[in-house]
Amino acid sequence: MKKDEDFLPKIIAFLCNWCSYAGADLAGTSRLKYPASILPIRVMCSSRVDPLFVLRAYLGGADGVLVAGCHPGDCHYQEGNYFTRRRFAMLKKVVEDVGLEADRLRLSWVSASEGQKYAKVAKEFTEKIKEMGENSAKNKIFL
Amino acid sequence: MIENKAAAITIKSSMKNTIIELLEKAINKEIFDAVIIPMETPAKDSFVYVLVKDKNLLKDSNPLPPVMFVQGAKAVSSITRLGEGNLKIAAILRPCEIRAAIELAKVGQTNLDNITLISMDCPGVLPYPDFLSDPKKYKKLFEEAVEKWDNKLMRPVCQICNHSSMVSGDIHFATLGINKDKMYLIPNSSKGKNLIEKLELPLKENIESWQKKVKEISEKRHGKRKKTHKDLKTKIGGIDNFVDTFSNCINCHNCMRVCPVCFCRLCYFDSDKVKHNSEDYLDRAETKGSLRFLPDTSLFHIGRMSHMSLSCVSCGSCEDACPMAIPVAQVFSMIADETQELFNYVSGRDLKEPIPLVAYKEEELRDMEDAHD
Amino acid sequence: MTKTVVINENTHKGIIEFFKLLLKKEKVRGVFSLKKINKDGDIAYSLITDPDELNEAVPFYPLMPVNAGKLLSRFTLKGSSKKPVIAVLKPCELRGFVELLKRQQGSLENLYIVSFTCGGVYPSKLSLDGTIEKNMNSYWNEIKKGQIPNDLRPVCTSCTEFFPYTADFIVDLIDNKEMDKKLEIFLNSKKGEELTKDLDIKSLENKIDQQKLDKYLKKRETEKEKIFSEINKKLNGIDGLVDIFGRCIGCHGCSKVCPVCYCTLCEFDSANSEYEPSNYDSELKRRGGIRAPPGILYYHLGRMTHIGISCVACGSCEDVCPVDIPVAVIFKKVGESVQNMFDYVAGKDVEEEIPLVTFKQEEFVEIEE
Repeated sequence: MKKDEDFLPKIIAFLCNWCSYAGADLAGTSRLKYPASILPIRVMCSSRVDPLFVLRAYLGGADGVLVAGCHPGDCHYQEGNYFTRRRFAMLKKVVEDVGLEADRLRLSWVSASEGQKYAKVAKEFTEKIKEMGENSAKNKIFL
Repeated sequence: MIENKAAAITIKSSMKNTIIELLEKAINKEIFDAVIIPMETPAKDSFVYVLVKDKNLLKDSNPLPPVMFVQGAKAVSSITRLGEGNLKIAAILRPCEIRAAIELAKVGQTNLDNITLISMDCPGVLPYPDFLSDPKKYKKLFEEAVEKWDNKLMRPVCQICNHSSMVSGDIHFATLGINKDKMYLIPNSSKGKNLIEKLELPLKENIESWQKKVKEISEKRHGKRKKTHKDLKTKIGGIDNFVDTFSNCINCHNCMRVCPVCFCRLCYFDSDKVKHNSEDYLDRAETKGSLRFLPDTSLFHIGRMSHMSLSCVSCGSCEDACPMAIPVAQVFSMIADETQELFNYVSGRDLKEPIPLVAYKEEELRDMEDAHD
Repeated sequence: MTKTVVINENTHKGIIEFFKLLLKKEKVRGVFSLKKINKDGDIAYSLITDPDELNEAVPFYPLMPVNAGKLLSRFTLKGSSKKPVIAVLKPCELRGFVELLKRQQGSLENLYIVSFTCGGVYPSKLSLDGTIEKNMNSYWNEIKKGQIPNDLRPVCTSCTEFFPYTADFIVDLIDNKEMDKKLEIFLNSKKGEELTKDLDIKSLENKIDQQKLDKYLKKRETEKEKIFSEINKKLNGIDGLVDIFGRCIGCHGCSKVCPVCYCTLCEFDSANSEYEPSNYDSELKRRGGIRAPPGILYYHLGRMTHIGISCVACGSCEDVCPVDIPVAVIFKKVGESVQNMFDYVAGKDVEEEIPLVTFKQEEFVEIEE
């Protein structure tokens, strides 16, 4: 597993259209610096994120998976992110219980005005993944 | 077969290594981009098909593994069902797996355009429940069985298999009836002949000794097969014996799911058509006083026979997958012989040969009809 | 104190008497139970309408050819019967049925459930060579003594939910020293009381011996710790999973027999889970080789996220697996873990919503880092 400084993790980020995607945009337009490790995928609501998406990404070799949505109570569709939270908690538990690295999965609440927070989360998560090293699922043949 | 000549290959260390070296050569020459070949799992308790592009991985592969966990036609189909793709692929499969792949191609479930099907003389496979009880021991037993070409440990349907040598496909590795220090590469299609030319192997070996040995084995098997089927028919024939044979069936449908030619995404026997309401079930129960639940086990098996019997390749995957040790393959294989014989059909023999139920002759099977006046 | 009905007869004979009484008095149209279906003694679930056929019924037999909760779901899926039917289910089968009810996959209308404190079942393979039948005496001896018999399904020896919470009728078999002389049926619901109201049968009042059950629970918990610690040693990163599931043949038998897996077309059989040629191209570029067909771990982990929340740890999955993968133990471990997060026990209460279709406004704050 590569752990050296040259390792740029590949982090798949599912960002909800109304809050966190907008927040990521704001980070960009504000020219806030964060590592080029994030691969954003826009979904309309964080509750659109099926645990299977996250599993596909993880088993596909993504070094990290980020799911970001509106703060609880602020969901554009009223309740979506409450379900996201439960589903994500369940998914992390499953991943942890089967002996995989649940720390590669992260849930974050980023509102449309929180460009700074998005950059911070991106930076922190990338650092953490760098410490963990590459996801060894990347090279596995017998998945 | 394209012609009566083959290319000879010297076996330096083992047949397995010789085949792998040939595949590596073919990849180097860019004849193939990838190979579908069995490989042992890291836990060393199974062999699975792997689509290999990196030729360095080939050294861990095994072209003639002792078991067939997944029918090779399913592996090929999973790669090309949605289109032939860009890769030129060589698939190393058992003869029955090649036949199944061809049957699937006939119904659009596999695209064989970019696939070169490679077979070899097949000693059969071990039932994987036996194998799993002690993989190390059975790997050794298999190698000894291959040495002596002795199949008494193999799947029951393998023991009476009469299509265990070259049937269809593009090219065949022949070892029977030949000196142990070499093997023949026999082209079985223009694709196969092309491959031999590209590999720059001269087609000058006479294959008579191989043909003779194959014929000898085939005749012995043929007799055994006829007798086994006759005995089996007595054993399971009639509604009482049939129901008894399947009395332990729990309707898990594993047999259907591992069958290479049962390709329906949603099987009829899992669909809404077989779900009835409680009043129907109770009415049925009252006709005899009790109704086994879920009912219609025999309907599932005979129904499945009527759906896939003409394409059955007698591989035996169904029997290995049955958790209740029902001799599914033996029964289905016997019926398949009879239904295919009705139309002089051998499943998977020829891609251009249509499955009998989608073709017809204007004059045939008159004995099936009521007599005219 | 709970109302009970009593038949002064060996429990296994008494329950047949009870059912015959219900059929003869036309209180029920059918009885759903395990039954010997042929002269070889093969056992399968049956829907029985003729009292004479009940002579071959073996309601408490330690075998689960199929999870009966799944069968009851099929029975009531297209509508309940017009007249009542009574069914004998093991506690995990009942819980499986309850989880299916929460998903609109059946109905309790006109359906009475008899269940019992369960001593566990044998793997179905052992019924093939007569092992179970040979072990019958020793099985019931162990149960009568409040012990755990040998050679049962691993998830049975470690089962801590062996009490049938939602049954209408409960027979307490565990540590029951009077099993050979008396059948006592606890009327666990108003429905149950109604059904037996004017039956010519002795009625009493009694209490389930909770202390005795707690003692048995401790034994099961010890077994559970053992089994979980064994499997935990193997659940060791991605390589551990590849080792455990490497020999999976993708038959999906585990999903097919699982009571909670009710989808007619499973996600993992659907077009969503198919690989296109371009997928293979990109996978090969990265890995150099990929198993065909792919997606074995994806299937098992995906199934965990789908049904872990409702897993009743019946063990049917492990029983049907043709390559002996310890599916049930792993799903039991993950299922319990996920259910514990929400203080949920699958199938314990039919009114309790499945945790993933509901939420609290304040919870799991620690999930967002």
